[in-house]
Amino acid sequence: MSHAVLLEARHVAKSFGRRRVLTDATLAVGPGELIGVTGENGSGKTTLLKILARLLRPDAGEFVCDGRLGYCPQAPLVFERLSVTENFAFFAAAYGLEDWPAAMARWADRLRFEPSLGQLVGELSGGTRQKLNLALALMHEPEVLLLDEPYAGFDWETYLGFWELAETLCREGRGVVVVSHFLYDRSRFDRICELVDGVLACG
Amino acid sequence: MRLRRLGTAWQLTLRGLLRRRIVLLLFFLVPSLFGGLIVLTTTSRPIQFQLASLGEAVFVTVPQRHEGLVFICLTAVGLLTAFLALDLVQRDAETHRRLVLCGYRPGELVAARLGVLLCVIALVAAYVVSLLPIFFEPERFGLVLLGLILGGWVYGCYGLLVGAVFRRELEGVLFVVLLAAIDVGWLQNPIYYAEAQNQAIIRSLPAYFPAQVSMAAAFTAESVLRPAVGSVVYGAGLLALALLVYVLRMRAGRR
Repeated sequence: MSHAVLLEARHVAKSFGRRRVLTDATLAVGPGELIGVTGENGSGKTTLLKILARLLRPDAGEFVCDGRLGYCPQAPLVFERLSVTENFAFFAAAYGLEDWPAAMARWADRLRFEPSLGQLVGELSGGTRQKLNLALALMHEPEVLLLDEPYAGFDWETYLGFWELAETLCREGRGVVVVSHFLYDRSRFDRICELVDGVLACG
Repeated sequence: MRLRRLGTAWQLTLRGLLRRRIVLLLFFLVPSLFGGLIVLTTTSRPIQFQLASLGEAVFVTVPQRHEGLVFICLTAVGLLTAFLALDLVQRDAETHRRLVLCGYRPGELVAARLGVLLCVIALVAAYVVSLLPIFFEPERFGLVLLGLILGGWVYGCYGLLVGAVFRRELEGVLFVVLLAAIDVGWLQNPIYYAEAQNQAIIRSLPAYFPAQVSMAAAFTAESVLRPAVGSVVYGAGLLALALLVYVLRMRAGRR
């Protein structure tokens, strides 16, 4: 792997029982790159991202990640009976962050959910929960970001704000992979990788 | 750093649990209800039984109600802690996996939940045993409390194991209910036990040692050291298995 690549996956394959979801997925993410992974429903986009995030073990293939990884799952994986601040505290302990209140304030401001910091997550709207889900993937300043439809539930303004944020993150030298099935997102990516019949074809 | 991470996980797990007020209420209602049923359905007629850990020479004669109360206290603590442990492992399992991906060690998350479980066991056992003096004075109050705590320990570890093995709630609940109802709810009652055909099976079940500690402490002056040690070892074995399964599960996707 050259040092211009932050994350590289080669010939990744995954089956669930007899169903082959991924047959050959090869992907390299470089610094400052914004890559879109597209495909129809059930094409294996989420499976691919879970494998890259090391949440799933592939049946075949190899991958290397050079740097901190941030993963934002499609459905918010957060603690409903804890407040937003407590969720930040829990994830900060996992990342080993000392100055997490500053990181929390920064991301709550950037994603505009500061008024919700004291609220229990179970009482939040779907959109705010998703913002928290995204912020928890960003708070440790990762070099590589894997975002699985991170804007689900966002209002239009926040949705546009997300893309500004993604571009800023890329300008800062991070590699960003976004799973999307919106046609109108396509123009925003540096490269689009399409999953068809388990094969990932990158343009 | 590891201690701080453990402390954070323990504190936040406990906070999450304390916010479930209905569950907390049930922790105090269920033992009272069980105890009430025993008081209403038993008499003060003396009954005689033997305790397996004390040998065949020792016969215990006590009022039926007293024996029933001690046994139902153990049933309540065992059931409640097994369910709590199951819930602690199964609830937010995917979020815990995300935490492991972010840097937590699976063992740290289990240890935090075990810490919360031990606190709850101690509180519930203390509450349950505090109800006994309303009806009678156990021979050795402190050791009855120890017996109940050990019952909570063994069944708590069993609940952690079931929660680690089964991902879905229904399977887990069935496994907890099936074993707890037969073991701590029936077979370990010395009235049944003394007449049982195959005592070796009963002695291998989780509640055997804690039941012996509780009963011997409540009604005799005999030593409870061996069954107490047996309870600790039995629970530790279940915990080790639970930890093994949990770590394998959490690391399933990692390379």
